[in-house]
Formats: sequence, structure tokens, C-alpha cells
Amino acid sequence: MNMNAWNILLVDDEVEFVSTLAERLELRGINARVAYDGESALKSVAENEPQVMVLDVMMPGMKGLDVLQRVKEAHPQTQVILLTGQGKTRDGIEGMRYGAFAYMMKPLDLDDLIQTLGEAINSDKGTPHA
Amino acid sequence: MPEIAQEARFIGSVTALSMHEMQNILAIIRESAGLMGDILKVNAKVDFKHRPNMERTLEHISSHVDRGKGLLEATSRLAHSPDEDLLEGCDLTVYARTVALLSERLVRLKGAAVNFAAPPTAMPVAVGALRLLMTGYKAVQWAVGAGVKDGVVHMDIESGKDFHVLNVRPPAGIDPDLDGVAFLGALLDDGKVEWDGSRLRIFLPVRRQG
Repeated sequence: MNMNAWNILLVDDEVEFVSTLAERLELRGINARVAYDGESALKSVAENEPQVMVLDVMMPGMKGLDVLQRVKEAHPQTQVILLTGQGKTRDGIEGMRYGAFAYMMKPLDLDDLIQTLGEAINSDKGTPHA
Repeated sequence: MPEIAQEARFIGSVTALSMHEMQNILAIIRESAGLMGDILKVNAKVDFKHRPNMERTLEHISSHVDRGKGLLEATSRLAHSPDEDLLEGCDLTVYARTVALLSERLVRLKGAAVNFAAPPTAMPVAVGALRLLMTGYKAVQWAVGAGVKDGVVHMDIESGKDFHVLNVRPPAGIDPDLDGVAFLGALLDDGKVEWDGSRLRIFLPVRRQG
């Protein structure tokens, strides 16, 4: 897996969580940008379409599932991995119906996340990204 | 809606929101400790006096985040269970695991441990999630009685045509209070509870699809 070429966007209002996660991915050679709310995420996607967006479901302002729907409408090739609450698998299942690639629960296992990112990038829907 | 149900839903919604915050806190702790661990690995050749202490401390943080994650998952399920009750049943596999997680502390205080052998598949039952959690938790509480040294409460599930069964086996050395069996049975509107000489058997009606 050539992880250096991955283009990932992490979206979560928990700044310390998402910035530290991006730093850890970077240490592994993965380029991950961050956005701290739904509006910024949509702007970031429009400027530089990511292969995979990791998106928290529960954020202030625009909700994660609304961001998901907007992204899938305008950028269907971007794969979305949802971060859901413990015990709230219903959000994840609903997200899958809107076209999410997968859902995971916080706190994350980094190896699991990287594996899921790889699967999303190598999936049929995710390959057209250069 | 009966008043008690409104209160349960209120407690559930406030707890669920707090658990979401706890989840974010644990996530930040995990990533921060993870980053420190990454930096130590990247600089593996740089030796310093307190490296082993730091590595050991990071392992402790990681294992306790895992412990907290399990409890968080169980507490979130408990908090959401009044909403789940609006559906017509729940998954016995998921909620029996939740009972095991939630009762860990209670059982430890009685000098025992709880072991749950989870089946690999979902087992839908026509019993509300909150009712199932309450019955399961009370069954474990009943099973440890006044306490025992180094005992284990074993939980497992059997599938059946009309009823799935949650078995709760008390630790060796416990003299079960058989009067309590009727009390546990009364917690279920549908289903029944029996003592077969070694296990408490909680019969839960299978939820039919469609």
C-alpha cells in the first residue's frame, strides 16, 4: 500500500482529537487534512476532493449525516467513514443507507482506521481518484 | 406515556449525551498517548533514563482507555435502552454482553468475576432492551448473593424455536436464594425464569421478523 499518495480529510469538532489523529497519520506517511465543522468540511472537499473523508456524526451546526448527503451528491467518488457514538449503531446504519463506506466508534484503534482507509481507497467506488 | 417511562427517557437522554462527551475525552487521551508512543518509537535509538517508565505508563493509559471504552459502550446502551424500547424488541446477544459489562464492578465487589460466552450471531427477542438489561443485571446480582471468593458467574445464550434462553450460572459455593427466582420472573411481562439446579434460565420469546 502506497499510503503517501492517500488524500484524507478528517472532520470533527474535537480539535485536539482530530489534530492529534492527523499528526499520527502523518508519522505513518499519510497526508490528512482536518476540518472542525461541516461547513468547513464541504469547502475543503470542494477545493481538493479527498479520496476518503472521516466524518464525526455528532457535531454542532451542520450534522454529520447532512454533510455526508451533501458530499455524496456532489462528489460521489469520495468515500466516507463515519465516526459514531458508542451504542448508537443506528446512526451508522442510517449513514450506510446514505452511501457511507463504513462506520467506526470512538475511541479509534489506529490500525483499524488505517486498514479501513485502505479498503475505502481500494474499493471500486474509490479508485478513480488520482 | 406513563410517567416512569418519561423519567427513564429523560435520564437516558442526559446520560447518553454525557457518554458522548466521555467518548470524546477517551478519544483525545488515546490519540495523545498514541502520539507520545509513536514519538518514542520513531526515536527508538535515543535512550534516556526514564524511557521504560514512560513506555509502561503509556501501556497503562492504553489498557485503561480500552477498559473505559467497554464501560462507555455498555452505559451508552443502557442510556439508549428506553428509546430502543419503542421498537418491538432487541438483540439478546448485544444486551447480554451489555449486562456482563455493566455488572463487572458489582460482581468484583462480591469477590467474583463475570464471564460471558457470546454467540457469533444476533438473537432477536421480543423483549424491550431496558427490561432485558434490568432482568439480566438483577439475575447476575442474585447469582453472586452475599459474595464468594474467586468465583465466576458464567453467562451464555441458547437459541430456540420459540424462546432464546439467557443462562446465568452462579459461582461454586453460592447457595442460591430460590425465592428470588420468582421475583426475577415477575420482571418480565413475556418470558419466564427457571432454576434448573445449576443455572438460572431466562426464557425470552423470539422476535419474528415482519
